[in-house]
Order: sequence, then C-alpha cells, then structure tokens
Amino acid sequence: MSRAKRFGIAAGTLLLAAGCAEDAPQDTWKPAGENAQDIHDLQWPVFLTAGIVGVLVIVVLISVFIRFRDRGQPIPEQIHGKPALEITLTAIPAVIMAVIAGFTVPAVMALAETDDTECVVNLTGQQWWWEYDYPVSEDGTICGVAPTSAEASPIITSGQLVIPTGTKVLVRGTSRDVIHSFWIPRLNGKKDIVPGRVHYLRLEADEPGIYAGQCTEFCGLSHSNMRMEAVALEPADFQRWLDNELEPYAAPAADTAAAEGETLFIQQCARCHQVNGLVDDKGNDDPADDAIVVSAPDEFVWSGAAPNLTNLMTRNTFAGATWDLLTENCRDDVWNATPAEFGAKYLEGVTAECLNEVDLREWLRDAPAKKPMYADPEELEATDGKFRGMPYLALSENQIDVLLAYLIERK
Amino acid sequence: MFTTGSKLLIGSSVIASVAAALYGVTQKGTLGTIGLVSAAVALVFLAAINVYVRDSNVSAMDPDAHATAPAARPAPSPSLWPLASGLGATMVAVGVVTFPAITILGLIVLLAATAEWLVQAWSERASADPAYNATVRERIAHPLELPIMGAIGIAVIIYSISRVMLGLPSKTGAVVAFVVLAALVLLVGTLTSVRRRLSTGTIAGVCSIALVAVIASGAAYGLNGERTTHHHETTGAIAEDGDCGADETEADENASQNVAAKSNVAATITLTADEQLTYTVPGFDGGGFADLTLPRSTSNNVLFRNDSEEHRRLSIDTAGATAAEDKRVVCSALVEEGGVQLLTVRFDKPSFAAENPYQFTVPGVDGAVLPVVVP
Repeated sequence: MSRAKRFGIAAGTLLLAAGCAEDAPQDTWKPAGENAQDIHDLQWPVFLTAGIVGVLVIVVLISVFIRFRDRGQPIPEQIHGKPALEITLTAIPAVIMAVIAGFTVPAVMALAETDDTECVVNLTGQQWWWEYDYPVSEDGTICGVAPTSAEASPIITSGQLVIPTGTKVLVRGTSRDVIHSFWIPRLNGKKDIVPGRVHYLRLEADEPGIYAGQCTEFCGLSHSNMRMEAVALEPADFQRWLDNELEPYAAPAADTAAAEGETLFIQQCARCHQVNGLVDDKGNDDPADDAIVVSAPDEFVWSGAAPNLTNLMTRNTFAGATWDLLTENCRDDVWNATPAEFGAKYLEGVTAECLNEVDLREWLRDAPAKKPMYADPEELEATDGKFRGMPYLALSENQIDVLLAYLIERK
Repeated sequence: MFTTGSKLLIGSSVIASVAAALYGVTQKGTLGTIGLVSAAVALVFLAAINVYVRDSNVSAMDPDAHATAPAARPAPSPSLWPLASGLGATMVAVGVVTFPAITILGLIVLLAATAEWLVQAWSERASADPAYNATVRERIAHPLELPIMGAIGIAVIIYSISRVMLGLPSKTGAVVAFVVLAALVLLVGTLTSVRRRLSTGTIAGVCSIALVAVIASGAAYGLNGERTTHHHETTGAIAEDGDCGADETEADENASQNVAAKSNVAATITLTADEQLTYTVPGFDGGGFADLTLPRSTSNNVLFRNDSEEHRRLSIDTAGATAAEDKRVVCSALVEEGGVQLLTVRFDKPSFAAENPYQFTVPGVDGAVLPVVVP
C-alpha cells in the first residue's frame, strides 16, 4: 500500500473517531433544551438528505471517471442541450430544496419567537468576555423569583450566565466594541451581537448543569479565548443563587491578609473592576471620609468595561470563562454531578481548597502573557492609550498573596 | 540560462527581499515593508520574463553578436518616456518647495514613466522578431495599463462632475444639471445604437468633445469654489446650548417624524395621551420592569413615541450631575402627535455612582419621568 493511501486511511479513521468523543461540551448533537432540540430535529433530516445526495453525486462522479476515462477511444458525439435532462436535473434539486425549506422556515420562525419568554437577561459582549445583567421586574422579582430578604436590585455578573431550569429565558444582547457571536450549542444556535443593536436569543435548559459555548465571530486577538458558560439551576437553587448575589458587601476582618488585599484592590484593581458595596475608608477610622469605590473602566479600557468582581468566587471561571477557578478535581466534581446534586455543588462556589491558584496567580502576575491582549502601553496609539484587555500590573508575589486572600472571600 | 539582464534583476530582487525583511524587523514599518516586498515581487516577475525570453542576450564569445543580436540593434522608434520621467522628476523637485501634492503627483508620473520606459526598452529588444516584440509588450503592459487608465479616466470624470454639482448656485440646479447630463448621455447612446452607420471616428470625436467639456466645466467650477451650504442646527447642538426645552428650535423644523423599519432599539418609550412616560422592551411580553435597564459604556438607541396632543421631546442627563456645567444632556427633536424619533444615549457611570438618578423626562410635562438603571 502506498504511503498516500496509508495516510488517507489514517486521516479518515481519525476523522471518524473524532465523532465518538465523549467529553465534548459543545456538541451540537446533544440538545439540552427546547430550542436546541428544534435545531436538532431539523438538522437530522437535512443532514441525512444532504448526505444521501452527496454520496450519490460522488458515486456518479467516480463511476463516470472510471467508465469514461481516456483509453484512446474516439471522442463521442458532442451535443448542445437536452431539455428533458436539464429540466429533470433542475427540478430534482428544486424539489429537495423546497422540502427542506418546508421544515426549515417554520423552525427558524419558531426560534425567532420571543413572546413566550419568562425571564430577561441583558448580555453585553466586549473584547474578550461577556457581561450579564439581570433587570428587576415591576413586581420586584428577577426572572420571576422574589428575593428572600434583600430588596431586588439589578445583578451584574460575567463568565457564567445563571438561569433557572425549565424557564424560557430571553437574552438581549449588544456589544461595546466589535461584532461578537453568542453560541451555547446545547441550548440554541448562534446569535451575532452587533454594537449599537439589540439582538434576541431564547435559551432554555431542561436539566441542571453547565453548558459551554464560545464566541463564533472573529473579534480580535483573543477571540478563541472568549468563552461562555450557561449554568442551569433548579428554581430553588436559582433562588439561593439570587439571594446570595443580593447579599450586601462583607468587608474582610481587620488586620488580615484579606484586608490588605482589599486596600490593594482599591488601589490597583478598582480602577476598572467594580465590587459592589466596596468602601474606601481612606486609611482612617472617620466614617465621614468613607467613599464608595466606583470603577472607571471607560477611562482605561477601550470597550469601557471590565468584569464586575462582586461575587467572583461564586463563578467557576475567570478571564472570559477561559480558565477555571476550580482545580481539575473540583471542576470535574461539579461538571459531572448528577442533576440532583448539581445545584448544591455549584452553589458551594470556590473554596480555598478548590481554588485553582496556579492559573489565577499566573493571571495576576502577567495577564497579557497568559491571554493575548492589546495591553502594551507603547502600542496603544490606535486606541488613544486605552487597553483592550487587562494590562501587566507588576504585582509582587506578596501583593498577589494578599489579593488572593481578598478575592477568595468574594462570594 | 541566465542572461546578464536576468542576473541583474534576480540580484535586485534578492536585495529588495533582504531590505524588506530588515526594514520590517528593525523599523516595523508596515507601509515601507509592503513597498519593498512589492518591489521584490515585481523584480522577480521581470527576472522570470527575462529568463523565459533570454534570446536577447549578447554573447561575448560570439564575434558577430554586436552586429546581429537584437540587443545590439538601435531602438525602432524614439521614446517619449524619458521626457515624461524628466517631467515627473521636475514635479517632485518643484513640489518640495511649493505644494506636497505636486511632489506626490510627480512621484506617480515618475514611477509610471520609468515603468513604461523599462518595459518599452526591454520589449523592443526582447527578440529578433519586431512583430513578436510588439505583441510581448502589449501582453505585459495592457493588463496593467488598461484598468489603470480606465480607473483614472472614470475618476477624472466623476471628480469633474462632482465639482460642477457642488459649484452650481443651488441644490435644485445641481439636480436639473444632472438630469440634463444623464438625458444627453442616454440620447447620444440611443442615436449611436440606432444609426449604425456612424463611423468610429465620429463617435470618438463626440466623446472627446464631451470629455473635454466635462473636464473644463469641472476645472472652472472647481476654481470658482463650492456654493455656500446652510448648516441646520442639530439636536446635539441645542443640547450643548442647554436648549432641550419645550420650545421649538430650528433643529425641530426639519426633523423627521418617522423612523426606518430596520431601526433596532433597546426600548420604546411612549408619552401617553395623559402625558405619562411608559416603556416596553421589544421582544418581551412577560410584563414590565421596575425601571428601564440600559448597559453602561455603550450606545443605546431608544425610540420615543409621542401619543400626547402636544409636540414634545425626550430628554435625559446622561451624566446624572447636579451642577449645570457637569450635566451632559441629550434630547430628541420635537416630536409631533403620533410621531416617533430615535434618541441615542450613553452612560459612562453606573446608577449608584451618579449624583442624581438617571431619568428620561419630557420638557414642559412635570409628571413625565422614567427612571433608568445602569448596572
């Protein structure tokens, strides 16, 4: 057997074997909600039809190549036009396309319907992460859930979109800089997110769990690192998540590493990252001097936004959902939890034992080295000196220690 | 295999490639690198052609070569390109001390003339066959010459017509002139098509006269300058001047009361018949929200619909400031009864950081207030 044939067989086998992958969180063939199921129900017959047509065409082509290959025979009579054959060969694809359209158009229309949604989440994309905010309804609920104790106020988060199971969620998306595309394959199709416009996408998850996705519109240097995860929680667990998100800010105990971390956070991180309720005491005990810390990402970041870190450790990811905040074992424990166990495990958040210190430390040490970003101050002329991504902060190891001590309490 | 000329061209292309690499790495200049790479590609192209038609080389070992080789023959015709190159060089020099535009034009003339000169000189000696030499020149030069000349011609015509349109004393005059010009073109085209006996020379003559007329008119109007355009006041300007009130301004006079169907909005805000502000979020029928939520640091388009019986505008201070000088008020134009308009708003700070709550208001209507939450 020639080397080319062996290579061809190996490549084909590899391609086929890839279809058997078990650990494929972005598998479009495993729908986990009504919308994705609609797409799945449509793509099977279309794929089958296209496959049969494709195989037929290839078989006919190969047989023609073999049967009529040049063996020195005289050139056959040349004809121009054969109406019956031409009409047949035009009609057959037209009928096939019409039948496919007969299934596709209603499915597309059904996916575009948003009137039956029960919950709204605003989505804002920017290089290279997604922000989610949950508006408060007129009746004081968020996604139909009333907070247990605190008064409802808009929740703002990033990295993981938390939704209640069995609820039709309307995602209203826009972008702060360039065109992005939101895609969680197991919950619905892709939706381009264009600056200055608002786009609508329905999401619904039947079972609790984490559903992974990825930006699918090339959006710059770290496009491949712009990921997203939808976390579906049972309504009771969603209530717990909501209540926790609305908890007031808890300052670290005095004279601890976390308290030092808070001071450092105010000096370094809070220029761009907001932590709701964070107060700067200006280094004295006089409450009159206290000031609410307000980040101003629009002054430093091209998109005008940086992730809100209020409850960072309730999420399992950071830096645009590219890295896990959980160690591998703890992550597997959450991802592989049964639907009944999932809520409790997810809501535990990131504990000190489960914190993925390696990646988080590397990120704090030199973020642009870990995730490609436009953060070199010497090359920011085009963006008027503003970063696209997180800059290098020149933090010492001691500073990173205290920042970790502070961040681990953010849940 | 390699002739003297091809060696020169190959060597030049290598030098250009090395220069491109060195310049790209050391200077990081994109434009310069592209220029040098382009030069290298062009030189490789010329070298390949030279290798392919190597019969023009004169061998030093052939005693009769200087008498018989095509390269040794005098040029078949005088060339205008040296003169054009000289003109280009002069323009470059004149431009340096007068206007930079002349230098740029001179560079273009110099480059084009030099390229034509090179191609002509090479093609006239490409082989011993003058007929072949003529065709090889056309095959090389025409694919570049024709589109470039066509593009230049179209650009000159468009630019000339645009000068005429901008120079005519009124907008109506420009429209009439354009209609007349288009009708003339159509008429001449129709006549040419119908009267097939018209000679090519006649058609070329008419087109040439028309071209000269267009260029001359363009030059005349261009030198005369554009007509004075009256700039209407905009809602942005009245907002800056603090005039987002209930009264009508010049900006409101010509404001459209319709919005394109393709407009995409974050919310529709309606001033109801009883002069209350309500809003809906497109795509969601699951009940209202406590306050309108809009994201920060991005442009939000809201649609203002006026269902009241008075002309009204929508207004908001996007800075949420207390002091008048810190306010950043934006407003729509005055909207008629039943009319709609878009208003684009952008908030840099979240609501909790603003001194005053963000809220849409309708000047002249006290109770019409719609709070906005910016998370």
